[in-house]
Amino acid sequence: MGLALTGTAALGVCDWAATTGNPPLQTGDWAFVVGNWEVLLLGTLVTVLLTATSLALGFLAGFPAGTVEVYGTGRLRDAVSTAGVLLRGTPVVVLIVLFFFGLPIPRLLTLPVLDVRLDVFLAATLALGFRSAAYQSQVFRGAIQSIDEGQLAAARSVGMTQRQAIRHVVFPQAVRRSIPGFQNEFTIVLKDTSVAFAIGLAELLTRAENLYLQPGRDTAIMEVILAISAIYFVLTFTTNRTIDYLGDAYAIPGGDE
Amino acid sequence: MTLLELEGVRKSYEDEDVLRGVSFAMDRQDVEVIVGPSGSGKSTLLRCVNRLTEIDDGAIYLDGEEIHGIDENDLRRRVGMVFQDFNLFAHRTARGNVTLGLTAVLGLSKPEAVERADDYLDRVGLADQADSYPAELSGGQKQRVGIARALAMDPELILFDEPTSALDPELIGEVLGVMRDLAEGGTTMLCVTHEMGFARSAASTLTFLDDGRVVERGPPEQLFENPREDRTRSFLGQLTDLER
Amino acid sequence: MTDGETATPGSDPTETRGTTVGDLPGRRRLAVLAAGTVFWTWLLARWAYHNSLLDGLFTALGFPDLIRSERGVRQREGWIPAEPFGAAADAVGTVAAALGPAGVLVDWLRWVLDLAAFATTTAPALASGAFVTVYLTVLSMLFGLVIAVPLAVARVYGGRALRAVSLAYTELIRGTPLLAQLFFLYFGLPLASIAEDVGFTGQPPIPRAAAAVAIVGFTINSSAYQSEYIRSALQSVDPGQLTAARAVGLSKFQGIRYVVLPQGLRFAIPGWTNEFVYLIKYSSLAAFITVPDLFRQARNIGSETFQFTNIYVVVALFYLALVLTTAIAMGRLEDRVAIPGVGQSGPRE
Repeated sequence: MGLALTGTAALGVCDWAATTGNPPLQTGDWAFVVGNWEVLLLGTLVTVLLTATSLALGFLAGFPAGTVEVYGTGRLRDAVSTAGVLLRGTPVVVLIVLFFFGLPIPRLLTLPVLDVRLDVFLAATLALGFRSAAYQSQVFRGAIQSIDEGQLAAARSVGMTQRQAIRHVVFPQAVRRSIPGFQNEFTIVLKDTSVAFAIGLAELLTRAENLYLQPGRDTAIMEVILAISAIYFVLTFTTNRTIDYLGDAYAIPGGDE
Repeated sequence: MTLLELEGVRKSYEDEDVLRGVSFAMDRQDVEVIVGPSGSGKSTLLRCVNRLTEIDDGAIYLDGEEIHGIDENDLRRRVGMVFQDFNLFAHRTARGNVTLGLTAVLGLSKPEAVERADDYLDRVGLADQADSYPAELSGGQKQRVGIARALAMDPELILFDEPTSALDPELIGEVLGVMRDLAEGGTTMLCVTHEMGFARSAASTLTFLDDGRVVERGPPEQLFENPREDRTRSFLGQLTDLER
Repeated sequence: MTDGETATPGSDPTETRGTTVGDLPGRRRLAVLAAGTVFWTWLLARWAYHNSLLDGLFTALGFPDLIRSERGVRQREGWIPAEPFGAAADAVGTVAAALGPAGVLVDWLRWVLDLAAFATTTAPALASGAFVTVYLTVLSMLFGLVIAVPLAVARVYGGRALRAVSLAYTELIRGTPLLAQLFFLYFGLPLASIAEDVGFTGQPPIPRAAAAVAIVGFTINSSAYQSEYIRSALQSVDPGQLTAARAVGLSKFQGIRYVVLPQGLRFAIPGWTNEFVYLIKYSSLAAFITVPDLFRQARNIGSETFQFTNIYVVVALFYLALVLTTAIAMGRLEDRVAIPGVGQSGPRE
């Protein structure tokens, strides 16, 4: 990472600004931000990638977990719901460091270009992913429970088995109904990728800090943070609007009632 | 002596003309009942009187004063309203529903308000339910609290907006009973209702409103027995048939 | 993110940070309750034992040694000795060795005992961190509520301009990471030095400058989330309620004040609990702007002892205890202020 950083910093067009000790929000500091667009772009890529892997893991684990919480019985259901409480009751930063230090993940290669250590990325994905699963399971659970019991009865009355009825009648409705919850979960995960800062993963916030921690760059702190905040905001905003659109496009008339 | 007078009242929502020039006048102690098919503008008309809805054209006078010259909170203090779906304050007991207006609007002290509230709850036969929350009351009881809430403000006129339409049939009687008592006691009432029995026996004047206009207006016996307009005959005929 | 009306309050997850911690299965809930009581008794005793105000009080009363506020966080000793746990762990270890390959089965017990021994030695430092975590959270929640109520009212009942301002504030705050917000306030703005100039020197009960900045950050952040919960709760209050209030002669302001807010705030309690729990957890991010909260104490212990996994397991248990007891206590509060027909899900008139 050191190499990549010094490389891009050398491209900075405003070395003069730092030496004159400018107050915040000078054009020189914005030029510094602009000059380092590649660093921020790579950080954004890592953030997006981490969000995607975590959400995917969260869905893969969360959907079955939510189903078990509704239809499961006995030990399995208790175990799933207790695991959910533990994951939802622990701060994300604690989960991230715990997964990082506690799991025997071998030291893996460093991804080229992105400059990300794979084992660090893996730990962050597992922590964010399983925590997201714990929340997504609640979204699905709520959606499944919100489906009118008459739906299941109707499906059984045309001869479907319980399993078929759940598969063909309950799930299709429940998945549509969980879109708002999923959208919410997306926003949370995207923002919480910044907490992977705690284990030095080179995502957007970590790279931002590395930028202004360079000698003489502390005047640009505010500009750098505003810039990355804007990036986060644009990411959450545009994705939310896209999901809104998808939700509308695939809506069933009256399906939300 | 005229208490309420409407002059060419017009109201439209977007392209739909709901009221197309409604005029009539009622005296103190009158019980005016308005009937008409759904969508004829009855409820809108009531809401114009206490300015929950603003009229587009025309004028409304309360005791000789144009209501748009009266402070709207003041107007509403003088004109009570009873709602179709009760609209009781869900977080306050029956007593609390009555006292809120007394303390917040009339500025009564709390003990005064409680005393007055209990008095009015007693009048509608709910003295023993004063501490119940709306969710603990039946529909008929709720509506009687609604009436007590309006009455306690000592209004010059009370508007009733289909007060029995949301009630189960067996609960309608208790509310109509209270309304009859009020009518006999000289309360000035402007009622929108489908209760033809009440209209026939308690109304001093019956108004048939259709398509935003007053079609016919007169003593209830006249409209029921000898209507001038065919539309009145067919509408009232239908309703009276239903009652049998 | 949509402005759609909601039928049942709290069922509008788009506006929230997610579902509550959730319900533990029956018997476990009782276990949590019992453990929570023990935990809080211990925590309060710990705080009292090192509280300088109490120390002054008891010293004046003639018991100078009763309260030990002068002892630095790292010099504090646990009340439960670690040795028995350590000894037991060693014993189990010997048994495990004797069992040969089957020893793996009892090895986890040794780990638990080791962890217990470790926990008793680190608990005093964590207790002092927990104090910071609790006051950061409680103060920020309360200050946040003071901002959130007008924000939500402006959003629902305000004119065009007010609605836009309120919307922009909540969207901007909720669209950016809390950690970035904290960095902005602490490193970007000279808030800390301003706080120091004003006199935040860290003399109790005034928090250190960094903690003050954290409170500002958490207050701003949680006000945005709280206002979303309150907004959706206000919108779930039947519009007929305000109409009825107006029909009695109440002004719009009075109607909101006496009729809509009392109901809306009750609807908002589940969401508010959620936010409270979230803030307890997210207050751990204050560690990154040098606030000595629960997480930072754990991190410090980790880097001294290199027992990272163990300390983070212990601190996770601390957070779980705080979070679960809060959720249970808020549930009690909700029952207490409950009014029949208000705030419960299910059909409303």
